Parts: sequence; C-alpha cells; structure tokens
Amino acid sequence: MLNEKAVRLVAFILALAMLAASCTTQASKSEFFGKIEPPEGQVLRYISGSEPESLDPQMSSGQPEARLHMSLYDGLVEYHPKTMQPIPSIAERWTIDEDASELVFFLRRNARFSNGDPITARDFVYTFRRGLNPALASRVAYLAYDIKYAQGYNEGGVFVRDPRNGRFVTASEAAPGTAAGGMEESTAIPTKGLMDDAAFQQENEALHRRELLKKGEDAAPDTEFHRLIHAPTKLVVPADEKGREKAVKDNPKLKDLLAGKELVPVQPEDIGVEAVDDYTLRVTLAQPAPYFIGLLAHQFFRVIPQKTIEKHGVAWTKPANIVTSGPFKLESHKPYNEIVVVRDPMFWDAATVKLDKIIFYPLEEQTTMLNLYKAGDVDATYNHTVPASWLKSGVRNMKDYMKTPENAIEYYQVNITKPPMNDVRVRKAFALGIDREALARYRAVVTALTAFTPEGIFPGYPRPAREDFNPEKAKSLLAEAGFRDGAGKFDPNKFPVDDVELVYNTSESNRQVAEFVQAQWKQNLGVTVPLRNVEWKTFLNMRSKLEYKGFARSGWVGDYMDPYTFLSLFGQLGGDNGTGWFVPEYAKMLKAANSEPDQAKRYEMLAKAEAFLLDAQPVIPLVTPSTSWMKKPYVKGMYPNPGTLHAWKYVYIEQDRAKWDKGVPDMTGDALAD
Amino acid sequence: MFRFIIRRLIVTVPMVLIVVTITWALIRLAPGNFYTGEKKLPAAIEKNLRERYGLDKPWYVQYGRMMSNIIRLDFGNSLKYESESVNEILKRTLPVSATLGILAYLLALVVGVAAGTLAALRQNSRLDYASMGLAMLGISLPNFVLGPILVLIFALSFYWLPPARWGGFPSWNIVLPVLTLSAVYMAYIARLTRSGMLEVLRSDYIRTARSKGLKERDVVFRHALRGGLLPVVSFTGPALAFLVTGTVVVERIFAMPGLGNYFINANLNRDEPLIIGIVAFISIMILIFNLLVDIAYGFIDPRIRY
Repeated sequence: MLNEKAVRLVAFILALAMLAASCTTQASKSEFFGKIEPPEGQVLRYISGSEPESLDPQMSSGQPEARLHMSLYDGLVEYHPKTMQPIPSIAERWTIDEDASELVFFLRRNARFSNGDPITARDFVYTFRRGLNPALASRVAYLAYDIKYAQGYNEGGVFVRDPRNGRFVTASEAAPGTAAGGMEESTAIPTKGLMDDAAFQQENEALHRRELLKKGEDAAPDTEFHRLIHAPTKLVVPADEKGREKAVKDNPKLKDLLAGKELVPVQPEDIGVEAVDDYTLRVTLAQPAPYFIGLLAHQFFRVIPQKTIEKHGVAWTKPANIVTSGPFKLESHKPYNEIVVVRDPMFWDAATVKLDKIIFYPLEEQTTMLNLYKAGDVDATYNHTVPASWLKSGVRNMKDYMKTPENAIEYYQVNITKPPMNDVRVRKAFALGIDREALARYRAVVTALTAFTPEGIFPGYPRPAREDFNPEKAKSLLAEAGFRDGAGKFDPNKFPVDDVELVYNTSESNRQVAEFVQAQWKQNLGVTVPLRNVEWKTFLNMRSKLEYKGFARSGWVGDYMDPYTFLSLFGQLGGDNGTGWFVPEYAKMLKAANSEPDQAKRYEMLAKAEAFLLDAQPVIPLVTPSTSWMKKPYVKGMYPNPGTLHAWKYVYIEQDRAKWDKGVPDMTGDALAD
Repeated sequence: MFRFIIRRLIVTVPMVLIVVTITWALIRLAPGNFYTGEKKLPAAIEKNLRERYGLDKPWYVQYGRMMSNIIRLDFGNSLKYESESVNEILKRTLPVSATLGILAYLLALVVGVAAGTLAALRQNSRLDYASMGLAMLGISLPNFVLGPILVLIFALSFYWLPPARWGGFPSWNIVLPVLTLSAVYMAYIARLTRSGMLEVLRSDYIRTARSKGLKERDVVFRHALRGGLLPVVSFTGPALAFLVTGTVVVERIFAMPGLGNYFINANLNRDEPLIIGIVAFISIMILIFNLLVDIAYGFIDPRIRY
C-alpha cells in the first residue's frame, strides 16, 4: 500500500531542505554566531536559566535566581564584575577586626527602596533576622551560620539559664575535655562551672576590653548589645526533649549542666547583628571567618522591605505589591515566559545604570536558548548554555563565545567505608589511573584538575598539585594493597570488581564522562568498573547516605571566592561530605587557617590542609569546568567572571561598532566599567 | 441520553480520586523531596521545611488534607513556586496549551480529512500514494525531530520565523509549534479518514445514493463523509484532551509557558500539590472529552442510541 517512490521523494526533498539550511549556516562565514543587530535603545534580553523559584531573594538557592535578584536587590556589597570580589555598594566602606570575627559597615545615606523609603542599618538587621527565622524555612539560611547565635536561632535552639542567679551556661563550660568526664583533660582552660560570680564578671570584663582593643573595633561606639554579644559564648542546646537527650549522650557533661536549669529560646534579637545607629551596622561572628565578607553579596543578604513583607506575607513578591532595593525594579512577571525589570530612579547609584530595561527569559532547553541567540532574539546567555555538539562544530572559535575557569570543581567521591575502597592505596591507584589531560581534551571546555580547588581563580593561593597520570605507579599500589599474583605483580583478576561501581545521575554528559573514565581504568589498570545511572533526587539520597559502593559523581560550586568554600566540605562528617572520610585533625587545620589574620599565611595553611585531604584521597578530582556562554559583541560591561554573575548596573548596549567586543573582553585591570 | 450523561458524570468522580490516590502514592515512593538539591541541607533547616509544609505529620493526615483539597477543587500552593496557588498556575497555563492544542488539531483536522478523503476517492492513484506516504512519514517522525528541523530551516537559516517563545495569540511565534504539534495528528486523521471513507464508499447506501442519480459531491459530503468520519471522531476525544492539556516535548522545544512544561518540572521538583493538581485536571479533561465523543456519536451515527 505504501508507494516507495513517494516516500523516497519526500525524504529527498527533506534532505535537500536540510542541506540548503546547513549550507546557509556554513556559508555565512561570520566571526560571530548568528544575527548581530543591536536592539534599539538600552534593552538587554538575557537568558537566566530555569524559572526562578521565587522573587524573594531569601527563598531561592540557585544561580538562575541570583542573576535576577542581582538586578532587583542591592546588598552591603556587590560582586566585582570581573573578579567577583566584594566591592562597596550600600555599605560605602567597612572595617574588619584583626581576627576577622567582627565587621562594621558604614552605610551610604542616599540608599532607598523602590518606593522611596530610606534603607538603613535597621533594614539589614531585619533582613538578616528574617532570613534566619526558622518559620521562614529558607534553604540557604546556613550561609549566615557564621554569625554569632545565627545557627542556634535558625535551629530553634535554647540557651540554658540558672534560675537562681540568672547566669547562662557558657559553651566553654560544656566543651568536652574541660572537666571530669571529658575526653582530654586540659589545664589551660579554667573550669568555669566552678567559678563564682565575681570571678565570672571579672573575666567577662577582661574579655570585653580585649575585644575593644582589637584593630577595627574603634570604628563604631561600644554599646550594651556589643557588650552582651561579646560575653562568653552561651551554650545552645536543642529545644526538643529528644534532641537534648541525644546531645547529652554525645557529651555526658551536659547532663549536670542542664539539671535544674531553665531553657530560654534563642530569639532573633540574640543574633550578632546590630544597628549601632541608622547608618552603622555591626556583624559579630561566632568564629573568625575571613571569607565572610565575600558571602555578603549573595542574594540571601540583600536588603528587603520590612513593611511590605509584613503587610502582604507570602504575596509580597507579586508584581502589584513588590518593593525592591536594586538598580532595577520589577515591571512584569510572566512565569515560564519572561520577567521584565526597568531602571529604578530611586536607586542610589542610578546615574551609573545604563540599561533602561532587562528582559529575563527563563528557559531550560540548551538548544532552544542557542536557537534564540542565533536568531538574534536574545543578547546573552548564562553559563553552560552551549551544547557540546555545537561547541565542537566551531562555536567555541567564534568571537562572541565566552569562557573562563569557573569557581567550581568536578570530581568522583569515594565511599571509603566499604572495601576495597577503605584502603587509601586503592583510592590513590584509581586516581592515578585516569589521564585527565585526555579527559579535558575530550570534554573540550574544561581543564584537568588534580587538586580540590579550581585552577587559576584564587590569586596567591599556593594550590597543591598532585601527580595526574601514572598507570605504573597505580598498578604497583594495587599490588601492594594485596591484588597480586604469585610473582608479586598486580593481577586485575584478583580485584573484586563486584564491590565497586561508578554511579552518576542520569544525564548525557555525565554518561560520557563515566564511560571515558571507565575506559581509562580498563586500559590502564585492567579493571572494568561497572557503571550505573540513577535519577537525580534518588542519586542525591544515595550519595548522602553512603548507599553506593565505589565511586559517585560529584561537583561543587563555590558559594564565595575562597578556597575554604571547597575545603570545608570535609570539615564534618554530615552535610555534603558523602564519603565517610572525616579526620578531626583536618577540621582543626581549617579552623587554625581561618584564625590567621595574615592572608598569605592563611592561604598557606589552607593549602596544607588541602594537601592533607588529597593525601587521604576520599575524592578523585577530575576537571575544573569552564563558564561557557555567549554574548553579542554589542553587550558591554559584562565579563566572563568565575560565577557568571553580573553586576547589572555596569552592563550596557554599545551601538558603535568600533567599540564592540571582539573576543573575551579585557579581564585585567580594576576598572569596573569601560 | 440524559440519564446516560448523568451516569457517566457520576462515575468520573471516583475515577479521578483513584487516579489521584495512585499518583500521591507514587510521589511518596519516589526518593527525594521538593527541597533536595545538590547541596545537602543541614538537619535543622530540613526540619524547619518539613514543619512548614506539614510533612512531619503522619501519612493519613497528609492524605486526608490532600483529598479534602481535591474535593474542594482547591489544590493549595505550589511548593516550588511558593507565592502561586496551583489554581492560578492552571488558569495561566491552560490558555497557552489550549491555544496551541486547538489550533494544531484544527489544522490537522482540515488537512487530514481533505487528504484522507481525496486519497479514498482516488484510491491507488499517485495522489493516494503521495498523501499516504507523507502520512506515514508524519507518524514515524517524532515531534522532537520534526520541531528542530523546522526551526533549523525557517528560523535559523532563513530567519523567517521566531525559533521559540510565546508571543501571545495571534503571533508568528505560534506557527512552528503548531505545525510540529499537528503533524502526527494530521497523519493519523488522514489515514483514519481514508480507511473510514473506503469502507463507507463500498457500502450499500452509497450505492443507493449514486443509483438515485445524486451528484458525486452530494454523495461524498452529505452521505459518505458522515459515516467515514466516525473513526476520526472517536480519535478526537483523547487526542484533544492530550493536546489541550499540554504537550511536554513541543512546549519545551519552543519554550512555551504551558501546562506541559509545568507538569514535567513539577515531577522533577517533586512539587506534590502541583503534580496532584495537574493530574486531577488532566484526568477530568480526558473523562469529559471521552464523554463528549460518546455523545457526538449519537448525533453522527443513527445506529447508536443510548
């Protein structure tokens, strides 16, 4: 019944059409990709990634939201457009005390919300407290845990008070090892539990004076709150009976300390954020955290309007209600379609803002994004938007292709709790069995990684490098670990292949990498590790509960521009560790590094910790990804920085062809805009 | 007839509740939660979230709350897009999906019926082979292949049509998605029409009509088409229900803010209220469209009586 001729004819016509189409794409030998016609006026059409979860900056965790929130909200600091280091924004300047545990911000006086209300230090206090409110249930609240008592408040914890004298039990009294029953007896720290009130007061005063003498502290006047926040750190325990029982079990000393005491919930007023006056904000941290200032440009810390939120509740982000603080304000929001923001004349730095309007297109399909880009319907895209097949077909040689090493790493994590991976020699062997340079060539836009911090984005950091590829050494390590034949040589048949597998979450590119690594191991070690792909959320579950054997794919995107954002992954057993590797010594090294005021020395100490981590090899580093995205040559002031986060006030459309960017714009120099 | 409709409508209610219950159970069985992400949440934050969304309650309380929502036809707020209620999302996305779906179906109907009828009337002619060949191609070419091909030709090579995005109705943006969407249906309808017509054209009453001396046009349009289209009518019910409630692939390729796009994301996000809401809505639509088809049968085919 089917006429073959007809089918052939149709197929032929289709083939011809596609050929014609591909010819026209090839024929136009442009240095740029697709149509290059600047839009009329200062309008930027930008692809921002998935539909934002919320226009509330404290309720979203992702980068697609970060890009949008950077247009709508301003913070104490803003990301430098090239380096992403913090630059002054609502805070004109700030001081940090010498051990990086207290920051004082001096706010500019002309900062206003989009409704004209002035932005004061009190608004920041509100913002920080609201973000940490357990009832808000923000998923990114942990970013603020460095602030004193922030974690206790967010976890719904309680202080412990003696009803007889109203004195709070301090954390050091409860610290294991300071009194009988502790793990290690220490004589250096006095046992405060036995101190009388007068001595306690005295110590308190001394501590306060020490605090005041620190550099930077003189920047803002001393206050009652300042005194309180610097009193010896109070003990916080879980509010619920069960949680407390567990805490007592972990630390038997608590039992006596809790007996006969009253429990006082941690209040928002207790956390270490203080409006010294309308334009001075003081933030006190629980421990030294030199990286903390770099976190403050995150959307979680950007200032939000108290009155509007209290009036409208969850509906405050509706276009009719929303009040914002950034260079742009919301004009319209059509979910899954477009978000339009326009220049806000109320913005303190409105004179710098050049764009009149930004249209964000929330999109998820890479091909669709690039189609729109090629057709000239959008002016720029976010990172990782160019599909691999397009890269290889020449897009990466175009002059509007943007690429830079990212503040991120890709690695395989190892479940070290199960044999044979509990043997460090085996882990090392598998790390040495991968030719990363070959992997980097195969992936096209990545660089080989042998450390646990990305390459080339932390200037001055003495990053420890490890041997990349050495199959001979790998084999001898495996032989040492017991997988050898009679002659003492490594015998792949002795290796229990059934006890390992390489698990990754379902995605085309993950599969390609896994297959590549599998082939490497087979070729170099003679071991064929089985592959398994798992759906995303199932995969996350599996990884965090250590329900995998062997290797699991992993990646980490830094929260801020400091090696600590990567190294802290293994500072505890829970969280994102996922390998079962935890050594208290490593955690101590990190802590010591953060207490070091000298930046160069601190970096050295962090690098030592990183080397320690790499020696234990709970992870097999693979590559540093690249931010791979496109920007039309007429979009200026937009730089391929390590997070692909752009301070929108510096971005503009250049109509003059002579001034267009031909290639990656100049990333050197401190100039904010050109 | 009236009693038939009432009876069918009553059956709809338990059907929807069963579908919803199964969906709810499946969401429970799937690992992960709407808040699981690459970065693991501290236990306290997870606890805060579970309390806020009532996930700390026993399963029967959660089930009861979900059911009472369904019965009141108020599905609550989305978990991922917190400031929006599921009803608002349905209200906003349905017109987009429905516009695409109805246009695509109308196009498919017009072209498919015409091609099928012509093919049947000129059986075994070149025209017949050509149109059936095309139809076979349409059926076997999935829309995720056809869509990009159309985009490559019309949007990226000749820059005639926009490659994606919703531009309202009417707009040029709608042309490519509607074409992509209708291809398969066009092909099915052409084939269904052809076989239906062939059968009818051979039947006694057509021979009678012709022997009465009726004009061929009258024979085809007044007598044959009515019977020949019956298979198309029964195909229309489920087809239209699926088209109207959103087609995942086409909406994603062309970045349409429709129901299908939301549905796929709701599943990936484990956004329970949204999944339940959309599933309930789609099942209601399918049941209603099927009912409409059954009613339409009564009008078109005199042999069917309820």
